[in-house]
Amino acid sequence: MDIAPIIAALKRQKTAAALIAIEIALSCAIICNVLFLITHRLERSHVPSGVVEDELVYIRTAGIGASGGDDPMVRAREDRAALASIPGVKSATIINQIPFGHSSWNTGVKLAADQQQTSANVGAYYADEHMLDSFGVKLIAGRQFTSDEFLNFDDVLKGKSDPPSSMIITKTLARRLFGDENAIGKNIYLDDTKPTRVIGIVEHLIRPNFGSDLIDADSSMILPVRLSLGYGQFVLRTDPGNRDAVIAAARKKLKEVSPNRIVLDAKTLESARSDYFKQDRVMAGLLVAVVISLLIVTALGIVGLASFWVQRRRRQIGIRRALGATRRQILHYFQTENFLIVTVGIVIGMGAAYAISGWLMHQYELPRLPLYYLPVGAVALWLLGQLSVLAPALRAASVPPATATRTV
Amino acid sequence: MLKMTHLAKAFRTEVVETYALRDFSIHVRTGEFVAVTGPSGSGKTTFLNIAGLLETPTGGSYELDGEDVSRLGDDARSRIRNGKIGFIFQAFNLIPDLNIYDNVDVPLRYRKMSGAERKKRIGEALERVGLSARLRHYPAELSGGQQQRVAIARALAGSPKLLLADEPTGNLDSQMARAVMQLLEEIHRDGATIVMVTHDPELAARAQRNVHVIDGQVVDLGEAPTLRMNVAANA
Repeated sequence: MDIAPIIAALKRQKTAAALIAIEIALSCAIICNVLFLITHRLERSHVPSGVVEDELVYIRTAGIGASGGDDPMVRAREDRAALASIPGVKSATIINQIPFGHSSWNTGVKLAADQQQTSANVGAYYADEHMLDSFGVKLIAGRQFTSDEFLNFDDVLKGKSDPPSSMIITKTLARRLFGDENAIGKNIYLDDTKPTRVIGIVEHLIRPNFGSDLIDADSSMILPVRLSLGYGQFVLRTDPGNRDAVIAAARKKLKEVSPNRIVLDAKTLESARSDYFKQDRVMAGLLVAVVISLLIVTALGIVGLASFWVQRRRRQIGIRRALGATRRQILHYFQTENFLIVTVGIVIGMGAAYAISGWLMHQYELPRLPLYYLPVGAVALWLLGQLSVLAPALRAASVPPATATRTV
Repeated sequence: MLKMTHLAKAFRTEVVETYALRDFSIHVRTGEFVAVTGPSGSGKTTFLNIAGLLETPTGGSYELDGEDVSRLGDDARSRIRNGKIGFIFQAFNLIPDLNIYDNVDVPLRYRKMSGAERKKRIGEALERVGLSARLRHYPAELSGGQQQRVAIARALAGSPKLLLADEPTGNLDSQMARAVMQLLEEIHRDGATIVMVTHDPELAARAQRNVHVIDGQVVDLGEAPTLRMNVAANA
């Protein structure tokens, strides 16, 4: 199909064509960004936690030790042992925070004692000797903690001990702090006094709360600090099919150990992830609805204008048919015309998409729209345009050539 | 060139069948200039539509340039219209969104002719009708007579074997009508076969042969040399 005469004819219909092109441009700009936001939200909700989510349950309690006057450190160990003895429990640990949990422990770390600014803000897991097994985190370099490296949290809290001598960090944090260098053996400062040596690297360990930056989300460290009950929660590892039974048994077991205990939460880690990303899913759903609505409105606009043009140019179509145009050539005429208008809209829309992305970056600290979204959006709108114009174009193609000789 | 034998065209509804043409036979030889006359509703336009392959007959046979075209499919009819037939309409039927050059170009593009060949033909056709200086004008910027000359140029550019004219001077004043008619006569003298539908007996008289249609049937065939001479004398 020769486009020159179509362009020539469109120049005589500037206003209507421009309106549709603008509609397409707006749709292109909005759809590219919204699709990116949806993908970003969904990517975030699928971020790897680094733990064996389908095998874990967690239990948060309150009121422990308030009435008995027991040593909370001792009680913590006894409770953990009691929970570990439940049939089907492979391992149990007491920990300060869990991925997708309610509380988040974070600290700034430095690479030198006299460094003014911290090098990174890091999620800090205070772990006993059962943590790595219980969480199922994958140690990819270095070693686990030895028993002499563990500190008691109460001593740390009261300033009775130095910072831990060793730590395990995530691969992401290692790369963030040390680039391509081997992080094992490197020192990290938690305060201005003594360094903590990196002794191991795990594949992933997500911090409980994180934003849109997935590198920041995976910046965690594990410190060998045994918690007392007031600061910890239990995490039990079991077979996926056993989780509900283990939760019920754990509730019972904790009540046996101390009847004054209140179980605040007892859930699977999968449900914690689901709850954590609930808002993201709702938002993604809303954005999908926005995209669909926009596509429908755009399609209706194209259908409306194309139908109007077909109706208005009915005689002209008849003349073209009389002069020898086949039905296919009439169909192609309207399809090409639509393609040209949509293309103009897409070109403008791509610029607008990038501008909106820049504004979103500035306003909401979102990442820049990846360029590959632009051709994806363009193809989607070209398809939408062709689909929308098909029915009016087919109607045009069905105009009989004898229309040319009718005087009314 | 054009031979219709016992042609019929019926328009059917659920309850009634109306014949626009019935037992319609006509033979137009190559190089003839035939005028088809008749009152309104007699079937002239239906005849022209079928002759121009704009409609299909419901009965009988139609041969164009030695080929039976009465049962052809839509695409084949389009190709023959484009390649062998030139149309001149009463209402000119130029495309208002295209300039004069592009209007004449329309049927040539459907023929997938090269750009250079199209340009040459458009130039020659517009030169012939005396409008080569108005290539970039739009139809609305031309007078009725000029528009009809553009339509004639469009019809001629494709070098058709048959020129069909539907009341070609019906929308023109007498001076413009005379100019257009003279142009058609020139084209005929150059060897074109022309079939002109008209209700104007004076115009019909300028054709070589008259065919009168009443109630969808040919009722009279004959030459009108006297009248033609008279009209020529009055012109």
